[in-house]
Parts: sequence; C-alpha cells; structure tokens
Amino acid sequence: MKSKNVSLLKGAIFITLWIFTLNAFAQVLTVRGTVTDANGDALIGVTVQVQGTTTGTVTDMDGEYTLPNVSPNATLEVSYVGMQTEVVSVNGRNRIDIEMSDDTEVLDELVVVGYGELRRREITGSVTNVTSESFNQGVTRDAADLLQGKVAGLRITTPSGDVTDGTRIRLRGVSTLQNDQGPFIVIDGVPGGDLQTVAPQDIESISVLKDASSAAIYGSRSAGGVILITTKRGSGLRPRISYDGYLAVSSIANKPDLLTADEWREYARNSGSDPSVYDQYGASTDWFDEITRKGISQNHSLSLSGGGSNNNYRASFNYLNSEGVVRDNDMERYNFRFQIQQRAIEDRLRVSLTGSATMRDFNQSNRYNFVLAYNMLPVYPVKLGNGEWFDTREYDQGNPVRNQQYNQNLRKNLHYYGSGDVLFNLMEGLDIKTVLYKERRSEERSQYNHSETQAGRNDGGYALRENRIWDKSLMEWLLEYNTNFGASEEHGLNLLAGYSWEENEYSFMRASNRNFTTDLLGANNLESGQGLRPSDVGSSRNMNRLISFFGRAHYSYMSKYMVTATLRRDGSSKFGANHKWGLFPSVSAAWGLSEEAFMDNVNWINDMKLRVGYGVTGNQAGLDPYRTLQLYGTSGTYYDNGAWLTAYQISQNANPDLKWEETAMFNVGVDFFLFNNRLSGTIEWYDKRTKDMLYTYRVPTPPFLHSDMMANVGDMSNKGIELALSYDAVRSSNFTWNTSVTLAHNRNEITSLSDDVYTTSRILVGDAWVRGGSGRTTHVVEEGYPVGQFYGPDFIRIDDEGKYVFRDSEGNETNAVTAEDYTYIGSAQPDLTFGWSNQFNYKNWDLSFFLRGTLGNRVLNMGRMTYGHPGYLIGANALNDPLIHQLSVVPEYSSLYVEDASHIRLDNLSLGYTFNTNNISWLERARVYATGQNVFVITNYKGLDPEVDENRNNGLAPGVEDREYYPKSRTFSVGLSLTF
Amino acid sequence: MKKIFKLTSITLALVLIGGIFSCTNLDETVYDTIPADQFGQKPAEINAIIAPIYKTLKSVWPGDVFLLSEQAGDMAITPTRVGGDWWDGGVHMVIKLHTWHARNGLINGSWNACMSGITTSNQIYATIENTEMDADLKARTLAEIRGIRAFWYYILIDYFGNAPLVADYTSTELPGMSTRQQLYDFVVSELNEIKDVLRADVTSESYGKFTQGAAYTLLAKLYLNAEVWTGTPNWQGVIDAADKVMSLDYIIEPNWKTNFEVNNEVSREIILPITFGKSDGGNHMHYRTLHYLDPIALGMNIGTWNGVSAQPNYVKQFDDEDLRKEGSFLMGPMTDPSTGEVLITGHARPLIHTVDFNIIPGSIREGMWGEVHQEEGARCNKWVFEKGLSSSDQENDFAIFRLADVYLMKAEALLRLGLNNSEATRLINVIRERGFGNDSHNHASVTLDDLYMERRLELAWENSNRQDMIRFGTFLDPGYLRPNPSPDHLLLFPIPEAAWETNNNLVQNPGYPAF
Repeated sequence: MKSKNVSLLKGAIFITLWIFTLNAFAQVLTVRGTVTDANGDALIGVTVQVQGTTTGTVTDMDGEYTLPNVSPNATLEVSYVGMQTEVVSVNGRNRIDIEMSDDTEVLDELVVVGYGELRRREITGSVTNVTSESFNQGVTRDAADLLQGKVAGLRITTPSGDVTDGTRIRLRGVSTLQNDQGPFIVIDGVPGGDLQTVAPQDIESISVLKDASSAAIYGSRSAGGVILITTKRGSGLRPRISYDGYLAVSSIANKPDLLTADEWREYARNSGSDPSVYDQYGASTDWFDEITRKGISQNHSLSLSGGGSNNNYRASFNYLNSEGVVRDNDMERYNFRFQIQQRAIEDRLRVSLTGSATMRDFNQSNRYNFVLAYNMLPVYPVKLGNGEWFDTREYDQGNPVRNQQYNQNLRKNLHYYGSGDVLFNLMEGLDIKTVLYKERRSEERSQYNHSETQAGRNDGGYALRENRIWDKSLMEWLLEYNTNFGASEEHGLNLLAGYSWEENEYSFMRASNRNFTTDLLGANNLESGQGLRPSDVGSSRNMNRLISFFGRAHYSYMSKYMVTATLRRDGSSKFGANHKWGLFPSVSAAWGLSEEAFMDNVNWINDMKLRVGYGVTGNQAGLDPYRTLQLYGTSGTYYDNGAWLTAYQISQNANPDLKWEETAMFNVGVDFFLFNNRLSGTIEWYDKRTKDMLYTYRVPTPPFLHSDMMANVGDMSNKGIELALSYDAVRSSNFTWNTSVTLAHNRNEITSLSDDVYTTSRILVGDAWVRGGSGRTTHVVEEGYPVGQFYGPDFIRIDDEGKYVFRDSEGNETNAVTAEDYTYIGSAQPDLTFGWSNQFNYKNWDLSFFLRGTLGNRVLNMGRMTYGHPGYLIGANALNDPLIHQLSVVPEYSSLYVEDASHIRLDNLSLGYTFNTNNISWLERARVYATGQNVFVITNYKGLDPEVDENRNNGLAPGVEDREYYPKSRTFSVGLSLTF
Repeated sequence: MKKIFKLTSITLALVLIGGIFSCTNLDETVYDTIPADQFGQKPAEINAIIAPIYKTLKSVWPGDVFLLSEQAGDMAITPTRVGGDWWDGGVHMVIKLHTWHARNGLINGSWNACMSGITTSNQIYATIENTEMDADLKARTLAEIRGIRAFWYYILIDYFGNAPLVADYTSTELPGMSTRQQLYDFVVSELNEIKDVLRADVTSESYGKFTQGAAYTLLAKLYLNAEVWTGTPNWQGVIDAADKVMSLDYIIEPNWKTNFEVNNEVSREIILPITFGKSDGGNHMHYRTLHYLDPIALGMNIGTWNGVSAQPNYVKQFDDEDLRKEGSFLMGPMTDPSTGEVLITGHARPLIHTVDFNIIPGSIREGMWGEVHQEEGARCNKWVFEKGLSSSDQENDFAIFRLADVYLMKAEALLRLGLNNSEATRLINVIRERGFGNDSHNHASVTLDDLYMERRLELAWENSNRQDMIRFGTFLDPGYLRPNPSPDHLLLFPIPEAAWETNNNLVQNPGYPAF
C-alpha cells in the first residue's frame, strides 16, 4: 500500500496521519468478558488494557470486565500478579473470555544474557534468572541480599555485623589466589558495576551466568561468573507511583560470654591474686553492652513510572538509614535513578538515557574497640564517680566507650553515572546499537582520634583526610541480527557482534597530622596540628584500558536443538608486552527433549531440556596497572648533608609476561518442569579448571632485586554439582504452598603452584596473632589441597599441667610441636551449601521462611584462642570458658580452635498481608509485612557466628572469626508497599 | 541467503569502522611512578637513585640482625613474659638457648637483609655505571656502592660464613655457594681497590656516606677476625688500618652520650652511621625495649612493646661508678610524674625494672626457659629517649662504626702481637676514663681480658658482642639459662630453609641437617 521509495520522513508523517484518521473515524466496540485461572475460578482485579493506550480496566468480583470504545483491530493485554500476561487480538469480537495460566510457565519469558536477551526456552548455557516477585524481603542493602539462597552454587556470605560492609559473593568456588572478587557485575548492560548503586527496590530481575559458555562473552573479567542486573522500567500502560518503606530494629545476635564482675571476683579469690588494685571502683560493667545498642534502620523508596505508546520513563528515589549494633557504625544512603526511553522513525530508532546517583555517608566501626571490650575488666567503670572517664594504658586496654564517643571515621561516597544508548533498526531483524557511558565515583574520608582517647592519645590527637576518585569511560558498538527462516520459519538465528572500549582511572590523595592543641577542630583543620611529617601526605594515580571485540551466534531449530557459540578478544593495558591480547571462546548446545514427538505421550513431563557447554573465561582483577613495567618509585627519604631528600628505587621486579588468569569450564545440566509444572528444577555438573593463576611468588635475591614477583603460574580445579528444585505442594484457589531447595557441592583443589621458573609446593599463609604468638600461620596453599586449608598442630588434649598435648609427625604425644608436626586440620570451604525456602499464600496472607546453611566447613575460633585462656587474668578479662581453668600456657594455634562450623540459619521469616484494593480506584496495591532476619542459628560452633569473612588475607586464609570480629545482628522489621 | 550476505558486509564494515574509530591502543600512561629509562639524568636524580644503598643499612639495627647477634651472645634477651607475651613460638628462646634451626625467623630475616643489601648495591652499581656523569664523582659513587656491598658481605661472612658471591646485577643465574675464604678475599680486595677513591673528610657532607674512614674500619674488622674466619691472623693489618682511621679527622667525643643523643649526627666519633629520621623511621628501639607504662615515667606518648632487655650477667659486669652502666640500662622503679608514685603493671605489680629475672614456677617452656614478670629486666637506655615524643620512631642515628671501637681494635691487635702494652693501655684508658667520667679507674697496664671487658662495657647493644665472644673463644661456653657448652657448628648460623626453597643451589652449613 505504500511505496518503498517514499522517503522515511514522508512515511512517518503518513503513518501518523493514518493512525489519527483511524482513531477518529473507525467504528468502536464495547468488549466484555470473564477472566479465569486454569481451574476456571474467576480472577479478581486483573488488569485489562488496550495495548498501546491508557484505556484499561480491572475485573470485578466475578472476574468480569467491560471495556468501551475499543477499536475492532485493537489488542488487549491482560496482566495479573503471579500469572502470565496474555495478549489477545479483538478481531471485531465484543465478548472475549480469557483463561490465564500460572507464571510457572516461564519458558517463554525473555531472560537477560550477556549483551542481549533470549527466551528462556532457547538458552543453552547455565543461567539462573530471579525476578522481583521472588526476591528476599526485609532489610536488603543490595542485590546480593535479594538473591541469598535463590541460586544454587551462588554463595553469598555476610562477613560481619558491620552495616557498611558488603556481602561476599562466590560462584562455584574460588578460582583465583588473588582476592577473588566473585562474579562480575553488569548493571543494565554496563559491565563492571557496583551493587551499591542500585537500590534493591529498583531491580526488576537478576540473571546469574553460572557457566563459562554463558559468561565467556565477558572475556577476561568473567572467570568468577557474571551477575546481570536489570532495573525496572516504566511501562506504557499506566502511570504508577509506588512507595516502599520499612522500619527495622537490630540487636546483637550473639555476644561473647565474658566473665562478669562477680565471676571475675570469684576467679581472683580462687587464684590467690590481690584484686584490690583493680577492684577499687565498685563497678560492674558489661563492656559489650556499653559499646552496643539497638540499631534502628529505615528505608523509604519512591518511584514513578509511565509512558506512552512511543516512550516510557521511570524515576526513583531511595533513602536508607542503617544503624549498626555497635555505636560508632552507621550508614545513610541516597539513590536516585532516572530512565527514559523514546522511539521514533516508525519505531526504528530507540534512544534511552539513564542517570544514577548514589550518595553514601557512613561511619566504619573502629574494630579495635572489640579487643578493648574483651580485655577491659568488668570491675572497671566507664566513668568515675566524679564524671570523668575511666581509662588505662595497659596493653590492649583502654576505654572503648570513650573511643566511640569522641572519635570519628566518616566516609562520604558519591557515585554517579550516566549513559545513553541509541538503537537503530537498519532492516528487518538487524539492529545497530551504541552505548556511551561515563561514571565517576569519589570518596572522602575524614578521621579524627581525640587526644584523650585510647586511639588518639599517643599522637596527641590524630586527624586524617583522604580523597579518592575513580573514573570510568565506556563506549560500545553492537550489531544484532535476528531471523527465522525455513518453510515454516523453524530455523531461528541470532547473531551479535560488538566492540567495546573502556578506560579506568584512579587517583588518591591523603593528608594527616597529629599533636593538636585542641580537639575542637577535629579533622577539619589539619594545618593546626603540630606533628606534621613528610609521610603524612601521600598521593597516587593510575589508569588502565580494556579493548574488546566479541560476537555470538545462536541457532535454534523448533526449540528442539539449539547451539550457541561466542568469541571474545580482550586486550588490556595491564597485560605484559608479551601477552597483550587474550582470546575467550565458548560453545554450548541444548536439546529440548520434551519437544520431540516421542515425548508427546509422556504427560508427566511438561518440559525438559538437556544442556552442555564449554567455555574459556579470564580474570584480571588481581593484576594492578603497571605491574609489567620496570619503574622507579619513591622510597622514603635519605639523609644528605643535613637534609632529608626523597629516595627513588626500582619499585618491583617487572614481569613483561604477566597476563590474565584463564578458566575453562565444562558444564552439563538438565532443566525440567514435571507433573503439570508442579515440580521444576535444574541439575548441573561442572568441571572448572583455572590455569596461569596470578600470585606473588617468592624469588631468590640475588639475582632478583626484590624478594617477590607476580607471575602467572599455578592451576586450580573446581568440580561440583548443583541442584535446584521447586515444588508447588499445595495449589488451591485460597491456599498455595511452594517449597524450594537449592543444594550445591563444590570441590576446590589447587593442582599446581609451579612451572619451569617458579617452583613452590607450599605457601604458608594467614596470621593467627595472639599475644606472644607472632609468626604463626594458619592456612596452607598447597598442591592437592583446597584454598582455605587449615594447617597446624593436631590437638589431642590438655594435660594435668595445663599444657596442650599435640600429635607429632610420628603419631606420638608431645607438648611442643615443630613445623614438621603441622598437619591438615580441616578446610574453610563447605562440602555442601544449602537453602530451603517456603512460600505460603492464604487468601490475602503470605508467609515465607528461608533456611540456609553449610555442611563440613571449619572456622578458626580466634576469639576463643585469644581470650579463652588465663594468661592475663586477673589484669585483663577473659571468656567464661573451661579453658581458663585448664590452660597454663600461651594460647597456641591448633585443631582445638578449628571448629566444625556446619550450621542452619533461619535467615528470613516474613509475614505479609495484601489489602483488597479492588474497590479503591486510586490504589492499585497495598501490602504490609513483618520480617525477621537472622532469627536463629543452629550449630556446634562455639564462637559468635559460623559464617565469617571469605576474603580474609586475599581470600587465602578464610574461615576465621578474628579477635576483633564484629558480631552480627538479628533484625526485625515492618514494612509497607503502596502502588497508586 | 541474500540477507545473510548483506549482514556479513555490514558486520565487516562495522568492525572496520570500529577499528579506525578508536583503534586498539593499549599503552599505559604511567602517572605515579617513572618508567626506568626516563629517570636518572640530572645530578639530583642520580643522588636519589644512589640513596637506597644507604637505606639498606636500616636493617642492621635494631631489627633481626641486631637481635640475632646480641641474643645469641650474652648481651640481650627477649624473655617470654607472663601470659605469653613475646613467646612467639620460641623464636627468641632458641637463639638464647643455642637450639636454633634453619627455619628461625631472625636468622631468615638477617639473611634476607644481607641479600637485599647486596642485590640493591649490584643493581644501583649497574645503573650508575651506565650513567653519564662527572668522571671523578662517578668513580667515587661507584666506590661508595662497592663499600656498602662489602659491608653486607662482611655481615654474611660473620653470621653465615658461606654464601653466594654475586657482584653482577645483569647475571640472571641462580647463584651457588662460595666459601668464607672466597668471600673474605673478595671483600678485602674490594676495600683495597676503593679505599683511596673514597672521600676522606669528616664533615657534615660526608656524614652518612661510605667514606675512607668506613673502608679502613671495615678492613680493620676483617683483619681483626681473620684468624677465626680464614685461619690466618692479620693483627698488623688491624694496626695499619686503625692508624689510618685515627689519622683522619675523627675524635673521641668528650661526652660519651654525644654518640647517642637524639641529634647525634653532630658526633665526630661516628664513622659509619645508620641515619634515622622521623620522616623515614627505622629506629624503634624505644618501642621494642620499654614497658607499656614506661612512657608515662619518661614523658613520652608511645604505645611500647615490652620486649628486649639485657641479660642479667651482662649488666652485673658494670662497675656502679661506671657512667656507662646507667647510660646503657634503664633500671629501678618507674614513677608516674603526676602522682610521684611507682606505676603498677597490669599484673598488679610495681613497675620496677630489676636486673634479674625470676622464672615463674610452673611456666617452664624448654630447659630453663620460662615466663617472667612484665617489669623484670634492665632495658636499653643508651640512645636518649626523646621527651614529648608522639607515636613515632626516634631520630637517634646508630653508629655501625665509631672511633672508640677502632681504638679498642688497635689495642687488641697490639696485645695479640705482644707489642707496646703502654700504647694499648693508653688507648683503652681513653675510652675508660670517658666512661667513668674520671681517671680513677684507669688501668696501669692491660691484658687481653681487660680489653675484652672494655669492649663489653663500651659497646653494649651495638652488635659487637657475638663477634667478640667468638674471637675470644667464649661463645660456646655455658652461660645464662644455658648450663651446657654448645657444639662447634653454632659458630655459624644455618642457611635459612626459606632461602633454599627459592634457590636450590644453596648448600647448608656443616653441622646442620642438609637440605
């Protein structure tokens, strides 16, 4: 009807006029109908909308709807929470009954994968997608909190109770010796994101790319897996305003059992020591109570969204204020996010703009206050009778309350970015897209230690200001082609080619001073200090650039046979001159077994897909800029004729061979939906092998100038099996119960630490410092053993003299072990990680609980080792532990303190009520809920919490509850969600 | 198919455009460090490149090199304190009890200090050799670098005897072992080659540099120990070298403490110092030795460690009238200036630094080694504590070599040769008279025993004790906490196992389990 020769502009004008004409003069209908579910029950409150317009209605108590003024050619969109959205053409009918199906039929929804989207049915790699309906509730700081326990093999741990501390994320085990950063974060397609910049309430869905065939398209940064976050977008259907808010109260979940004043007095009496020097204040102080509190947190999230037929927009604001259970720990966060998208030129051009700003003000706790609280005697007062502070200069002692009250360590963090992407449809199925992105992150730190407090007294007051800036620029070009061909279009082809250019720059400066006449100025007037030293100022700056070419081809035949191949070539300025470019290929295939004709009669299988994939990914997170170059750096000062001048020295053993670490992974899996979609799940097995692991090896001096050097040497292996099951135990119109389980087993092993040049078979790592216990290591990095392998003396018992009895290398008992007697005493990595969630819905009520835990991992209870002995009693406090009556020697690291940390935690318990808003035209949704988090832990572990920091000592000495461990909190919250 | 063809051509075009548009440039822009080929042309830059050789000396004292020497001898001790402070797996105990092994941290640290000093010298030598600069200055600079390298080889010869001999930075081979004799010959020949190229002045400009005075003193040290190290004595060499040093502008400072003051760079007795400054740190003796509460009594603001003390018998050798006794050791009650009362430790005991240690019954760890109370033990008081010091290292320089030592070396050589006892007596009395503040304790004539004692009184805490004991044959004798004589092989420390792990060409010293 239109000539192809008509210019684009003319065409656009014509179409516009044509649409107007149609709207003005066409005949209109009134459409009626009933919406029911699969059981034939009427669905109340279902949205029925004329697609592309704001005309719409909701179904009444009988599931009936009436829509006047509908064009006979219109299309209706029918949507309801928990149901799949249906799209129906009117075709001139005036009665349309619609049966909606459960959302478990998710196979046709689009899932975000690397640089694109694919229908779930078509995916050949291992991708787990979690959408906002199934996110965790309660106090959620970032995306990781939403995902906890939802993805088999994704281990999310909370290192401490510090509200400013992020979670640690690991996918399918550790795959580097260089401070495993966990999965690579991609936010709305922008690689290398920070979870803090996205408020949980703004997230629509999260895809986790678990295997290398899915992740390889992210090349040299994807060895730890990839997490793709997609934020909510406005919909063209109706303008919405949503509010989400909660108020939470946190209290310390587990407090160390220290001697109370009375217990200490009794101990002193029995020990025969004279307590009068200490016990002269008549005090009875619980120092942990003094430094902790009930932390109040609140979150308010407001968003608006909407759009028309050619555009959509969404803007949101989120405020989070979180108080730690320790008095000097809190965080305030503001997130702003704005997205707008518009189409033009017959929908062939699509332009999106996104802006995001995150501001965080946070006070990190001074963890040394825990050491003080452990050691300070319960008979010491916080303040003396005359109102003055009590304090002492005894080793590892001092008044922690005074530290908290007078000292400050405030960080202000600003993180903003903007991106624009332009997509143009070149021809049918062929799109070109460009993305331009600019990000700046800055952090200012302002610390002051008051001159009278333990932390500041030796400096006469200490002030520090630091400033950091991270800049990132990114440009991407993408070309994507989609087509179906064949007689009945049974062949599907999706091709993608891309180019990416990314530059990062980091700069830092610091200034400090000490010896202040007055504490009134804090860290706001550094120049007033009288103890400035040359080393009190510092600065640095560096950059790196990453350039990539990548492509993907995906082919499918009737959703039966699918194959995907990807290839990425990454070049990084950080790599050595001899290895500037790396190649990261992958291939995967899937077989939609249930689509086969011979499966037609197998009714209990609704869907089944077998997958197999292999890919190569890389990691370069452990490689800092400039490591490959021969450089002069400053090296303090030197004395020359009465003056102190700056010395320069070759700063490192340059290694021009440095490159990425390479991880190859083979993955097989099966996805299934069985028994009328009641039971669904995934079982996967993988074999992941990392080679050329970066590590800073010890090298001989001479010939090398420095005694260590970074090189790509070792190999590591991770093998595992994962299971995710979801079962609709009860499906009735009033009551539903879904229960789901995730199980993951991973076996990690270092397979090599040597090559022709660098040879080492065993690296002792980890510090177990206690008074008098320097120079002891806790873990070993060794061929044939996993990362996190505890290595130390094997404890048997404590003898009558109060000495440890260990097993020596010959199996005999001994009091004194040597290095030969050290042995393998457990691993910090669990044999099994599990999660079990349950969701109940009864009428308007919903109840969920989520248990998670681990089996077989061990944790070094440094708290017990440090404070569970009598050495400094009665001058310092100790744990009320049998060991203080048994031991007579310096605490010594051994298997005694490496405890089984298998545990089950009731991580989340939520009860919600959704109001019936059918009769309130201005209110779409209203829900109230109450949540308890970290409600209880069942474990034999004797310390404060069996889940501790995974990243300790660059991740090589994990599984240690340190002597300054910040205890976790138990949180109860009430929340409200409203959508207008 | 047509579609696919079109697609391919568009893809190709795009890749081409991408390639031209923003290229594939992966060069690093280096901001906070300097590519090695762009630095070291201007005189100030050259000076800054040389500096690290002198900074290596900071590891001589008061860290591992010091602790190993003075604790293996009979001067210092880091006792295990009640509750277990400073037990540290017995790292200090095995040195004191002569039960050390190739894994000991102090031994490893000392070895690494030497190797780092030598390799740093080699690297900087190679750099300066290829730098265009004034010919005389270059010759002198290269001589200074060789001098510092010779010093580190001297420590290796003294502590380990056998070690790799590497003088070429460009060699990338893993070195094997050289004998003590080979190292000795190398150092003597190096010093003889450079001694007259070095500057001879004793001025603030030459302070802290490797000078002619340092070269001759180091030669004297080698000759002094030649009998022990090579089997062939060279006492006349000591006298000649010492005479040369004494002919330079050094003086015996009238006030002994001038050598140990906070600003002791004014001392003209110091021949080769480690220059310590607050801007660079390094002198942490006050942290190491003082009790947690001592700073209150001394008017300092520092969080100290309560570590190293003097061995009781060493302190007891001192005559009470010898000013060097209190000048070397902090003893007696420590009082709080604000109350005038003796401070009380965390174990409810008065803070009185006793000379003796009392092993707490039931706390024995190995042999006679057990725990002692926090306050026990005389502390190092030789380097003057800086009043009002806030949380910082001290600035007092450490004299690796000073003229008093040269006097005593010459006196010893004279006595060993049986020559000119009156000159030896004069030399010793100069030191002794200053030490007592009067001449009433002067010797009329001296024996080797008098000389040995005088060295001990003068050079406490100054890394001299172990070497002297070995030369005088007392090192292996039973001593404090050590009731039995030690086997001969302990005259050398073992090659650290950690060093062997990175270089399998190293061979263990005799008497120790082979690698």
